[in-house]
Amino acid sequence: MPDQDHKCTCSEQPLVPTIVEVIDIIDRTPDVKSFFVRNVDGNGVPFQVAPGQCGMVSHLPIGEAMISCTWQEEQEYLEFAIKRVGLLTDELHQIEVGQKIGVRGPYGNGFPVDACKGRDMVFIAGGIGLAPLRSFIKYCFKNRADYGKITILYGSRSKADLCFKEELFELWPQETNTEVFVTIDNAQADWDGHVGFVPSYMEEVNPSSQGAIAVVCGPPIMIKFVLQSLEKMGYNDDQVITTLEMRMKCGIGKCGRCNIGSEFICLDGPVYYLKQLRDLPPEW
Amino acid sequence: MKVLSKAKLEAALNKLSDRNEVFVPMQKGQQSGYFTWKSFENGQDELMLDALNVYQSPKNAVLPQTEKMYSIKSQGVEVNIDQTYEDAHPTIIFGARGCDVKGIIAMDDVFLTRGYEDSFYKARRSGNTIIANACYEPGANCFCNAMEVNSLEPVGADVILRDAGDGYVWEVKSDKGEAVTALIADLLEEKEAKLPEVKPFIQKVDYSGVAEKLKSMFDHPLWDKLSQPCINCGMCTYVCPSCYCFDIQVKMWGEEGYRFRAWDSCMFEEYSREAGGGNPRGASKERFRQRFLHKLEFFKERYGTPLCTGCGRCIIVCPTDINIVRIIDAVKEAEINA
Ligand SMILES: Cc1cc2nc3c(=O)[nH]c(=O)nc-3n(C[C@H](O)[C@H](O)[C@H](O)COP(=O)(O)OP(=O)(O)OC[C@H]3O[C@@H](n4cnc5c(N)ncnc54)[C@H](O)[C@@H]3O)c2cc1C
Ligand code: SF4
Ligand code: SF4
Ligand code: FES
Repeated sequence: MPDQDHKCTCSEQPLVPTIVEVIDIIDRTPDVKSFFVRNVDGNGVPFQVAPGQCGMVSHLPIGEAMISCTWQEEQEYLEFAIKRVGLLTDELHQIEVGQKIGVRGPYGNGFPVDACKGRDMVFIAGGIGLAPLRSFIKYCFKNRADYGKITILYGSRSKADLCFKEELFELWPQETNTEVFVTIDNAQADWDGHVGFVPSYMEEVNPSSQGAIAVVCGPPIMIKFVLQSLEKMGYNDDQVITTLEMRMKCGIGKCGRCNIGSEFICLDGPVYYLKQLRDLPPEW
Repeated sequence: MKVLSKAKLEAALNKLSDRNEVFVPMQKGQQSGYFTWKSFENGQDELMLDALNVYQSPKNAVLPQTEKMYSIKSQGVEVNIDQTYEDAHPTIIFGARGCDVKGIIAMDDVFLTRGYEDSFYKARRSGNTIIANACYEPGANCFCNAMEVNSLEPVGADVILRDAGDGYVWEVKSDKGEAVTALIADLLEEKEAKLPEVKPFIQKVDYSGVAEKLKSMFDHPLWDKLSQPCINCGMCTYVCPSCYCFDIQVKMWGEEGYRFRAWDSCMFEEYSREAGGGNPRGASKERFRQRFLHKLEFFKERYGTPLCTGCGRCIIVCPTDINIVRIIDAVKEAEINA
């Protein structure tokens, strides 16, 4: 909802990026890479991000794109997991460690991490959609006592396309009171896990809606079916959170294009309770 | 009252232009719009202070059609922004009508509120003074009165001019207005002047309740019918005094270049197309609906006032004869099935 009290801690020139250095790059999948950035003087990060907030990442001679900050490690780095889909992201995938790039932000409202305290958390993601949820998931583990049972349900097209494999298969399952379920769309030889789409797998796993909050992010078609399934499973509209993606240019509610009704998703979103989305025109 | 006699108008514009870039409505070749007084060519160009709405609105003075943002230098792994281009040089919009003043005041809401101040807009606006020209005789397509604009007392003007026959009554409204008045103090006379009679509006438009009614009309079948002729050319958004949407692009020559912004339009398919090809407003109708809902509903919900200022320009330029007044009428008349 229009946020009139947004207290400005932002720069005097919100559309001008800060130059940062790429200090590490990790291949997450054949078309997703994580980029770790830090201030050029080696000290600290250009801004503080809350889980679910985004940054406008620019390869200056090419262009800019809105990317969720998948993790901020204290003052060490900001991590952006970026999928190669077009002009800018293709170029970003070519760069090497040491490259200077631009970032501006933080943008968006972020996840309601405080309002979720004390609740069981169910995270449901598809493909690159795990990137934004991961900031919330890692935040929960960092503040483990504040949250109840954690269920993570993640799917992608194939085994190779699963992002953050080490966390999915090794780190997260070891956390207390945590279950991780992973699925891929089609069977393949070196995969003995679950095969099938996320929504139907979720219905199989059937995480209880009692006192739980479900957080959903993925391709629009997955979100659509997951929301239907959650409803069937007894989740109310104020127990479901999702994050929206619209085309963005400015990130600060000025350039116009990311609106749904009178909301600007870059500024008022991208995180919404399903309950709030039901009041918006059906353009999401 | 202070009066600027028409015989001294050119002297006043010359004087104001010493220290300011003065945008004045004029006909220049095929175009009419707000051009700088310095560019005025005697015998060729024609001052259009009497015309109600020249083709282009003065929004260019505060939100240029294209505007440089910052320089880029890129060599190997190094990249630098040596310069940003906030531009606060003094400008005056001379003779703006109430609808066009409202367009800028609406853009002030967008660019200067809600947590972020756009540094480029802020700079231009800080150097900008608006000298408005009150309207006593509305034109054939004017309906600003229906859109919460008072054309006799334009809110946000720094000076208001009132055409009193052989001179303009000169009413100062703000400190900025005071400052530009000081520049031409010796040209103003203190005398009585007779103001013209206020003529009625020809267009009868009733916007009351339209924003509220539209809230439940997103899926109404009337959009199919209304949008049918629209070819999404974007003319209406370009001539609009309050359409502010912009695109951000980059221009590089080898290792150097700059990022700039340029007017954009929700009527264009590319405007909201996402990576991967998805587009929430891929269909012509969806973009048409966005424009009119933004003007008549969304902006009012967010900022408390409609984004249409009633200038009537889009009615004149639309090649397919789409008329926002008829759209307001159609919404008023539409039946809503609960
Ligand atoms: C709130 C938010 C959060 C996001 N978070 C993430 C995230 O965490 N990770 C992530 O990976 N993405 C994220 N995205 C999506 C990301 O912003 C887009 O993927 C990105 O903008 C794509 O930019 P691009 O320049 O590479 O693509 P574009 O160049 O804009 O590509 C658009 C489309 O055009 C096509 N195209 C591009 N260039 C050409 C060309 N020269 N000729 C012909 N066709 C072309 C491409 O095939 C593509 O389908 C997020 C988006 C939002 C709004
Ligand atoms: S009508 Fe369209 S181009 Fe004009 S301000 Fe609204 S969204 Fe932007
Ligand atoms: S000027 Fe007319 S045809 Fe062109 S985009 Fe606007 S409404 Fe559509
Ligand atoms: S991205 Fe510009 S308004 Fe949201």
